[in-house]
Amino acid sequence: MRLNQSLVTANQFEKHLVNRRRRKNNGAKSIGFALMLTSMVDMFSMLVIFLLQTFSGSPEILVLKGMELPNSITPSVVKEATVLAIAKDGNLYLDQKLVGSVANVTKKPDELLNKLNLIKKQWNATHDTPFSGEMNFQADKDVDSTSVSMVMAILTSSQFQAIQLAVVGQQ
Amino acid sequence: MIGNTNRGSKKSLDFDLNLTSFIDLLSTCTCFLLITAVWIQIGTVEIKQSHGTEAAAPAKDSMDLDLVFKGPSEVLINLKKSGKQVKSFEVKSDSTATMLTKLNETLKSQVIDTKFVIATATVTPKTGVNYGQMVSALDVLRKNKIVNIGVLTERGK
Repeated sequence: MRLNQSLVTANQFEKHLVNRRRRKNNGAKSIGFALMLTSMVDMFSMLVIFLLQTFSGSPEILVLKGMELPNSITPSVVKEATVLAIAKDGNLYLDQKLVGSVANVTKKPDELLNKLNLIKKQWNATHDTPFSGEMNFQADKDVDSTSVSMVMAILTSSQFQAIQLAVVGQQ
Repeated sequence: MIGNTNRGSKKSLDFDLNLTSFIDLLSTCTCFLLITAVWIQIGTVEIKQSHGTEAAAPAKDSMDLDLVFKGPSEVLINLKKSGKQVKSFEVKSDSTATMLTKLNETLKSQVIDTKFVIATATVTPKTGVNYGQMVSALDVLRKNKIVNIGVLTERGK
């Protein structure tokens, strides 16, 4: 594909600016270059407007490396809460810290239950309102749904009943 | 930008814009917004795992919906009133995508556009059905304004 030469070549005004600078330097070739301030300010303004439009004030949650979240056409806003994640390899992470494999955790859930109880105690110590039971849940889209439901059973038994499934929003 | 159009005693409406500070401001704004920009929009699908006394009391003339996965492209919709099954629909297709489309149509025609009011919906997963497919089914329910959704857990069975 060939570019239209008129688009890339300097116009009369730009040539004038370059020539004026050269004349100022007694004809010597300038080491510097003429910066097109108008274009630069235009570019900055457009960038700022675009970035302001895409700016999001909702809290962000960390997603495990290599995790593919399922897509959703009806996503809600993310709320700040503890993150429980099931990776593609079947490992379970609580706030990015490995708890164990789902198979082991569902057989012996004591460790996870203790950690969940600790979170609950910390929440009760810092809040006057009753425990909300909110939990951000992440799982790879290829993980078996029964593994997810077994982990949810542990969460439900620990009074984490408002589970928010992390998804990638599609508009 | 720099203009002096003072004519006589009239006060000029033009003003001088300090380009250096303007560019500084724009650069700072650009840097900040680029650093804080979110490129992947992560959202949530909320489910409520209420049971026992914590579960909301069912309203009069409302029904509960059970969505039971039989396979990746086969689901069973059970409509229950006070724990008793009233109606049942089977949705089956060759692929998950077409099954979800059929599920949406069935929900619209058989449940939403009728006199039924759905209080709660429960999704029962099955081995062989992955989490992505389950979330897609939850999505179909939410699209049909069924928001009080729970997932039947192993202990709930």
